[in-house]
Amino acid sequence: MSRLDLVVEICGSAGEGTISAGEILSRFMSEEGYDIMSFDSYPAEIRGFGKCVAHTRISRGGVLTPGKFADVLIALNDIHSIGQLSVLKEKGVLIYDNKPARYHLEDQSVVGWLEPGMTPYGIPLTELSIKASGNARARNMVALGAFSALFGIDRDAFTESIRRRYGKKQQAVIDSNVNSFLEGYAWTLENVRKMDSFRFDGMSAEVKRDQLIINGNEATAMGALAAGLHLYAGYPITPATKIMEIMSKELPKRGGIFLQTEDEISSIAHVIGAGFAGERAMTGTSGPGFCLMSEFTGLAVMAEVPAVIVDSQRGGPSTGMPTKHEQSDLNIALYGGSGDSPRVVIAPTCVEECYQAAVLALYIAEKYQTLVILLLDFFLSNSIKNMDPPTAPETKYLNAHIVPDAEALSDYKRFRITENGISPRTIPGTEGGMFFATGLEHDERGKPVYDTVSHTRMTEKRFRKHKGIATEIPAPEVSGYEGDADIGVVAWGSSAGAAREAVEYANEKGIKAACFSSLFISPFPESELKLFSKRCRKILVPEMNYSGQFANMIARYLERPMERLNLVTGLPMASEDILKKIEEIEYL
Amino acid sequence: MPSNDHYVIIGNGPAGNHAADVLRKNDPDARITLLSNESMLFYYKHKLPALIKGTIGDTELSVKGARDYKEKNIRLRLGQEVERIDPRENRIYLKHMEIMSYTKLLIASGASPRVLPLVSNFAKHLKLFSSFTDALNQIGDIRNGRRYLVLGGDLVSFKFVRMLKSMGKEVDCLLYPDAFWPFTLTKDMAEAVNKSLTKDGIRVLSNDGLKSMNQTCEGIDVVTDNGYTATFDSVYAFLGMVPNISFALGSGIDTDRGILVNDHLKTNFNNVYAAGDCAQIYNPDIKSYWLSVGWKNAAVQGAVAAENLLGAGYVITPSPKSILSVEGFTVDTSWWENFD
Ligand SMILES: Cc1cc2nc3c(=O)[nH]c(=O)nc-3n(C[C@H](O)[C@H](O)[C@H](O)COP(=O)(O)OP(=O)(O)OC[C@H]3O[C@@H](n4cnc5c(N)ncnc54)[C@H](O)[C@@H]3O)c2cc1C
Repeated sequence: MSRLDLVVEICGSAGEGTISAGEILSRFMSEEGYDIMSFDSYPAEIRGFGKCVAHTRISRGGVLTPGKFADVLIALNDIHSIGQLSVLKEKGVLIYDNKPARYHLEDQSVVGWLEPGMTPYGIPLTELSIKASGNARARNMVALGAFSALFGIDRDAFTESIRRRYGKKQQAVIDSNVNSFLEGYAWTLENVRKMDSFRFDGMSAEVKRDQLIINGNEATAMGALAAGLHLYAGYPITPATKIMEIMSKELPKRGGIFLQTEDEISSIAHVIGAGFAGERAMTGTSGPGFCLMSEFTGLAVMAEVPAVIVDSQRGGPSTGMPTKHEQSDLNIALYGGSGDSPRVVIAPTCVEECYQAAVLALYIAEKYQTLVILLLDFFLSNSIKNMDPPTAPETKYLNAHIVPDAEALSDYKRFRITENGISPRTIPGTEGGMFFATGLEHDERGKPVYDTVSHTRMTEKRFRKHKGIATEIPAPEVSGYEGDADIGVVAWGSSAGAAREAVEYANEKGIKAACFSSLFISPFPESELKLFSKRCRKILVPEMNYSGQFANMIARYLERPMERLNLVTGLPMASEDILKKIEEIEYL
Repeated sequence: MPSNDHYVIIGNGPAGNHAADVLRKNDPDARITLLSNESMLFYYKHKLPALIKGTIGDTELSVKGARDYKEKNIRLRLGQEVERIDPRENRIYLKHMEIMSYTKLLIASGASPRVLPLVSNFAKHLKLFSSFTDALNQIGDIRNGRRYLVLGGDLVSFKFVRMLKSMGKEVDCLLYPDAFWPFTLTKDMAEAVNKSLTKDGIRVLSNDGLKSMNQTCEGIDVVTDNGYTATFDSVYAFLGMVPNISFALGSGIDTDRGILVNDHLKTNFNNVYAAGDCAQIYNPDIKSYWLSVGWKNAAVQGAVAAENLLGAGYVITPSPKSILSVEGFTVDTSWWENFD
């Protein structure tokens, strides 16, 4: 293959080592210098017999999406894998157990459903696992051995990687995994004739051992910790729980506070409390939890208290589909809650951006004394990428607390009307810095007032902050065709990766397409979008929600007809879907 | 009334495919499954030499594409090997450990190259060639090698020798006229072959045999009974075919060299038939069995077996004879399709 780009899926039942095999494969390929992106799916139930799929794209030259279809399917469980054949490419490869412990009934064997053109490799996974480790639990490692032999992967380097992965475990565990891998490798080399054309033609020269392999939740947590997060209060909810797990371990080590609260209302209340006390604080949740928090979001805005909420979106409404992907909380993030309540909404488009987004969220919340919502989604939270370890945030992002000077303290007005909307803030206990803080409209000292002039001036002040924030947001990412384009794709959140990739493919096909996305949704780089729109004959807005929440939002800036692609499949946006739409628009 | 039958056909060659088409035409609702242990779609075997040579690709090799099966609702299971059958329970045991059941079964599993006793001492050095899988396995060696010995004992060997020669290889051919398949080469025929091949630069070793073979780092050192010695990259044996019936042995289905069938192509089980190269067919006129050979026979028998599985009761008759000319001699044959 000229440009290596291979999507591997491992499909098994929960407890069969499916996800860990995927992780081992991803880690190794990353160490060998490949770009990887993984996206696993597993049953909503905590542990059971549900279907698990570890999906990994291995590429050289960057990956923007995990890819919709697989080149290789490794079946650890026949029944589950039968359904997964629908994502195997026409000339895909199936690695399956041809000597399971007992006979399958008719049509319950995955190879029985293979389409002509696909290549099956039957490997006695169970038998070899028992031979190498004494039990059938290491079938996943046998399968990785077989995969490596078939695809020309360096056996010794992979073995070393497995040893490093299990380094802290007992020797018996390491041996059982390594031996099973080697058994699968040797058997395949000896007995299987390679019939397909995929091959890793020698490993990358640039071995990268220090790459991070993390998902969006981990990147977000890392960013927040690097930005000096002091308190995290949360209530577990898929797909955001991982952030909480990390905080529960990391914050106490750093002298911070981790709290598992009784519910999401309490979580946001703690965050606002900590923010009021001058500490950087954050909570994480998903749509259902965010709904509960929405009343309190208004308090953060009205009392001008820094607060950061991570909302990792999932299929909704209500409890919806906990383990499915969707981008349908944009409306509630932008408009949820009562009153005219300006808030900052940041939607990272990839794992790397999650780190940066968390740093910016805490910084902006603190500096502008306001509510910042970090919108992740199921895919971003769970998709795993390799990346260079991020550099520590610049010091300006670490302390943005604007405190009143002595003169201001001599006649302290907590909510002083200022040009940029920011009023220097004291933390409780500061001498001379006392003030009222409630959810009521107030005067400059915080005393509740309901007169027309005060409400107007205070509302304007709160909105004015967004002008300053707008000057600090990163430039939008524009890619693809640089001149006057036929189609401009405007994407947001995790769909942006798929959009960029689709535009790349479209360009390769000779279609003049370009892509626009912004890390910040509110405030939004409106003028840049207008410029982009001007050079595009048509605009397409793809997003994973039914009502076109983002398209509706940008419609007010663009005031022109737009094509939309709204999907609610529960799966991440695929570049193939966007490309299809681009082609439809182009050739219609 | 929709048919409840599940027809299973073992074999994706001409016999199996013709049968599947006839079954579908006459029984639109039945389940039809076509099984093959090869992953390749139905292909022309006589074109395999051209594939190795590189003058055609996979597409030209195949007789029809996957769409044809989809349209006819015939389930094609490729790369799946039948390990044994149980005709009493109407069950098929696949090698990947799946149990299938059928109501009616057609065995059309073809034949594979045989290794005759006269060369069996050297079996480990011999390469056999009769399928797409063999072609894939050997394509690299053949393209890269220089010198080959072909043990010539059947019609396919001549095609293979010609292919090697046209690829610029040096070829020696050791002829076994007495063991020729599927008919004995008369003295005249052998002489004609000798002449025809020699004329084209192929060294023909007649009235000779293998004495020793040794693998060295240079290749395979061969010494013949007449004292001829040479080193070859590979030695290929083409000494006829033997029916693929190992999965039926001990199952209760009567077998000899092939699957024994009557002149309706029915085995000793009423719902099990056999056709093509794997079948050994009873001829009531001579009160003996004959082994089917060749593409044409397989195709015709596949269709007849299917009709009979549907209840027609046709008797198999040999196809009309035609003259086949090979390497300077001609035979009257009703079985070998002359594709050239
Ligand atoms: C190189 C070459 C050239 C030839 N040239 C000519 C020619 O010019 N003219 C001519 O008439 N004939 C020619 N033949 C012979 C002709 O191809 C065969 O006679 C014909 O293919 C027989 O058809 P069949 O359907 O009986 O079996 P085959 O075509 O052999 O098909 C048998 C099928 O059964 C499958 N099978 C076998 N065992 C199992 C199992 N255990 N489980 C599942 N599937 C199984 C095989 O994979 C295959 O799909 C040639 C043969 C070769 C090898």
